[in-house]
Amino acid sequence: MNIPTKPLLLFMLSAHAVSSVAADGVDNTSSGPDTQQWKCKYCAFPAGLRGTVDFGLGYASNDAFKFGEYNGINQHSGFLIGDAELTYFGEEAKYWTMNATDLGLDSRALNVEGGKQGAFKVTFGYKELPHFIDAAVATPFVNGGSNALTLPTSWVTGTATSTMPALDTDLQSTSVKTKRKQLQASASITPASAWQYSIAFHHETKQGTQATAGAFFFNSTQLIRPVDYVTDQLDAAAAYTGNKLQLRVTYSASAFRNHNASLTWQNPYTALLNADAGQLALPPDNQFHELQLALGYQISNDTRVTADIAMGRMTQDQEFLAPTLNATLNAVAPPRKSLAGKVDTRNANLKFASAVTQLLRVNATYIYNDRDNQTPQAAYAWVSTDSFVNTPTVNLPYSFTQSTWKLRADYRLLKYLHAAAGYDNDSRKRTFQETEHTRERSVWGKIDLQNWHSMDVSLKVVHGKRDQSGYAPLTATGVIENPLLIKYNMANRFRDSAELRVDTAIGDKLTLGAGINVARDEYPDSKLGLIYGKDLSYNADVTLLLTHTTSTHLFASREEIQSRQMGSSNFSVADWTGHNDDTINYFGIGIKRSKLMEKLDVGADYTVTNSHGAVMVDTGTLAAPFPDLVSKRDTLKLYGTYRLADKISLQAAYWYEQYHSDNWMLAGVAPGTISNVLTLGQLAPIYHVNVISLSGRYQFK
Amino acid sequence: MRRFEQSNKIIRSAVANHKLWIMILMSFALAVPMLAVAEDTPATSSTTVHSDQVAAYTSKGADTCIKCHDEDSEFPVFSIFKTKHAQLADSRTPFAHLQCETCHGPGANHAKNVPSDKHQAPIIAFGSTSKIAPDGRNPTSPTDQNKICLDCHRGDARIDWHASAHERGDLACVSCHKLHVDRDPVLRTASQPEVCYRCHQKQRVDFNKPSAHPVNFAQLACSNCHQPHGTSNAAQLIKPTINQTCYSCHAEKRGPVLWEHAPVAEDCTLCHSAHGSVHSALLKKDPPLLCQQCHSPSGHPAIARTADALPGGSSAASGFLLAGGCTNCHSQVHGSNSPSGHLLMR
Repeated sequence: MNIPTKPLLLFMLSAHAVSSVAADGVDNTSSGPDTQQWKCKYCAFPAGLRGTVDFGLGYASNDAFKFGEYNGINQHSGFLIGDAELTYFGEEAKYWTMNATDLGLDSRALNVEGGKQGAFKVTFGYKELPHFIDAAVATPFVNGGSNALTLPTSWVTGTATSTMPALDTDLQSTSVKTKRKQLQASASITPASAWQYSIAFHHETKQGTQATAGAFFFNSTQLIRPVDYVTDQLDAAAAYTGNKLQLRVTYSASAFRNHNASLTWQNPYTALLNADAGQLALPPDNQFHELQLALGYQISNDTRVTADIAMGRMTQDQEFLAPTLNATLNAVAPPRKSLAGKVDTRNANLKFASAVTQLLRVNATYIYNDRDNQTPQAAYAWVSTDSFVNTPTVNLPYSFTQSTWKLRADYRLLKYLHAAAGYDNDSRKRTFQETEHTRERSVWGKIDLQNWHSMDVSLKVVHGKRDQSGYAPLTATGVIENPLLIKYNMANRFRDSAELRVDTAIGDKLTLGAGINVARDEYPDSKLGLIYGKDLSYNADVTLLLTHTTSTHLFASREEIQSRQMGSSNFSVADWTGHNDDTINYFGIGIKRSKLMEKLDVGADYTVTNSHGAVMVDTGTLAAPFPDLVSKRDTLKLYGTYRLADKISLQAAYWYEQYHSDNWMLAGVAPGTISNVLTLGQLAPIYHVNVISLSGRYQFK
Repeated sequence: MRRFEQSNKIIRSAVANHKLWIMILMSFALAVPMLAVAEDTPATSSTTVHSDQVAAYTSKGADTCIKCHDEDSEFPVFSIFKTKHAQLADSRTPFAHLQCETCHGPGANHAKNVPSDKHQAPIIAFGSTSKIAPDGRNPTSPTDQNKICLDCHRGDARIDWHASAHERGDLACVSCHKLHVDRDPVLRTASQPEVCYRCHQKQRVDFNKPSAHPVNFAQLACSNCHQPHGTSNAAQLIKPTINQTCYSCHAEKRGPVLWEHAPVAEDCTLCHSAHGSVHSALLKKDPPLLCQQCHSPSGHPAIARTADALPGGSSAASGFLLAGGCTNCHSQVHGSNSPSGHLLMR
């Protein structure tokens, strides 16, 4: 990989010059005012225990997997409410804090921090994060979620799902979900006012199941695979903060381990070529180590340079699986026992910023990102779906290098009018791909009106053009793409975008904000593949302070995402067009009233999200339209807090949500609907749920 | 001058030969002399007072301020005493120095009595410039406000604040942070997104889409992926690249593996919308159209799949279209380490 030397040299020289001017780092200041009478006798300095503890009960009226997707309120049942926010300030700046949330739910978290302010700090944290993916899927395998899926003894294979006689009777229902458990501990010390050393350790387990699939020839089966991951992360850092120089050096190490190397499953179809079992590789163990230096230097009051440089290495060397479980095949062993995968990462962000005059500011940024894949290449005689041996194919370790210049100037035309313009030059190089080099040049301009007749207005316009060095379909992959296809991440492209935002306040009661964003991509030289994309969004916000104790808010947003692509069914010129149009509307209104009868705070929020995904594939002949991909969510939340006594209050909340979705990829697709895909019979989520909660709060003052 | 030219020559030669390693070493080497100079002047709170300002300080410090700014005033201040800023025993804090006037500047003129139809003399005030001076008085600019905060908080995550997107957008620190409260909402996972949504309304929609990262479940904050104080990379991410940011939580995708899927190794956002999507798994669109954007070989991957192949349609229900679409067979779309995973089927 060649590294452009000019930006590097520029940065080094600027840093070189820095050392010569660093000596003037001492402010010429006098002693402070006479503070002998500054007794601070009315100051209520922090001391003792303060905070809140909440305990109570909640109840959900229905099963609703999607509703509790990440918090665990997914079943018709009661649940415990437990939250706490406590802080203790002791003598000599000693303190501790504790935050506990959702103790009664699957998303429970506890964080504790303590130390002596300005001297040292230790933290401890524990968190659980569930992900409820599917409430009920159907599979004939008796041990769904294990790493070796077996069919029941009553199973009778068939050439298609329609000829599997025991399919209906052998199906078993199971859910698909994962849960992360995170443990973290950290310590930092500040031995001198400018220095800080810290070390942090993070341990995470992720367990559960996920959906996947495996095929034999064109007969496929959706499977439930196990998830049993462990990820450990260590970060050690030293940081210096001076008046002119700020510095941080960090060493990071991350190790990922998967307790399951593979997933094997019995072939539920009539086995051809003795392929009665298959084996999928699961994510292998890997490691990442990185050294990072972040540095900022204030050359003068008006000029600053910063650098963020990182060098890392990703490695993976897990022993290979056998090419196949089919003992009747003469499969050639892999040319090596493991991959010895190695990717070196090099990243640099260098920035020079200066206020040339009081009105003009300029900055130049150079970004360099390199993923240098040094994984050895070899020819692997691979086995197609455990059925037959293929011609050896050489692996392609992809490397990427990004090199970007950004120049920017900001000019204050008037006290309230600020203009900015910039030029970006983004160069990307790839190995083993159809295009070796792309370069995108962008120009942009921005106008900001600030505090102009109580109004802020911002308008930004960007135009970019990307060119490639040439496009040649690959042959090394063994899959020959249509020569008219240009993959969109490497295609010539025009990219235009504009953003307009207006915020204003009418008196001190009413604030209004509105914005429009539009971004459009065109691929003028692409005959097949993605040729057009557009994202248009509008949004508006209103906040009204009705009285000193009552406020309302309202917002509305709409987003339209459109794309067009061309395809060729006959490996020739384009003969079909694909349209994908997504529309999302989001609306919300809320009101809050505090100090009702001096003791009661109440509020209500209502939101509606309505999204549609329209797909059309135009082949020039009359075809049935796709049904829309639909989701609609209505949410009403009512909440209130009543102060029973000085330190005790009662909190009540009611939450109603209804959700309807429709997905043509899943609608009507039972496990046996598709002749050559034994599916899980997933369903698009539909639910309505009422959740009530009642809790008491004790306040430590 | 001669020494400078010599340095240039050496640097050019070294860079040509040793590329990025030199950059690292030089940065460290340069840091050492800079550090030696800077060590005498560690960042401190704003206790350095220019002589012409001394007379303008109040005679009794915070006691002067509190007399007016009690809990019933328009600008109550007592909550500052619930925060780390009001810790006397920590020599770095504002209250260990000039109390309120450490941040708000000399307040003697501001504290003077004025007729009821007049305004108090201005003082350094923190907030949106359009709100803090409705009467047209000269507000404190965001830049001047921020200088006061950065006097102490210029290191660590704020190293890249200068010339960052938020700084160039004239945001004040207090545009996002609240200082006079027990707990700053922007530092809490549950309440941080609402602070960000005040300007980033498009992202508010994203996280309400059917498939989204769990920001609205209070399980993830914007700052888990973004560094709001500035980085030079795309979207101010916490890591140098998009993929490295994603690997923070999805380390199983990191690899490298034997059979890589090129766009996966390049940029996760080529297929996924990072915030949220109408389509499952935060995909930009569903297969097969998603895959057909980049794949059009001879045979089944390139064939137009129409609604005729839906259940009950004029042709048989198609596994190329329904359930997982392409992933019904090519399930290892993130790459495979199996010797037989060349077509991402094992």
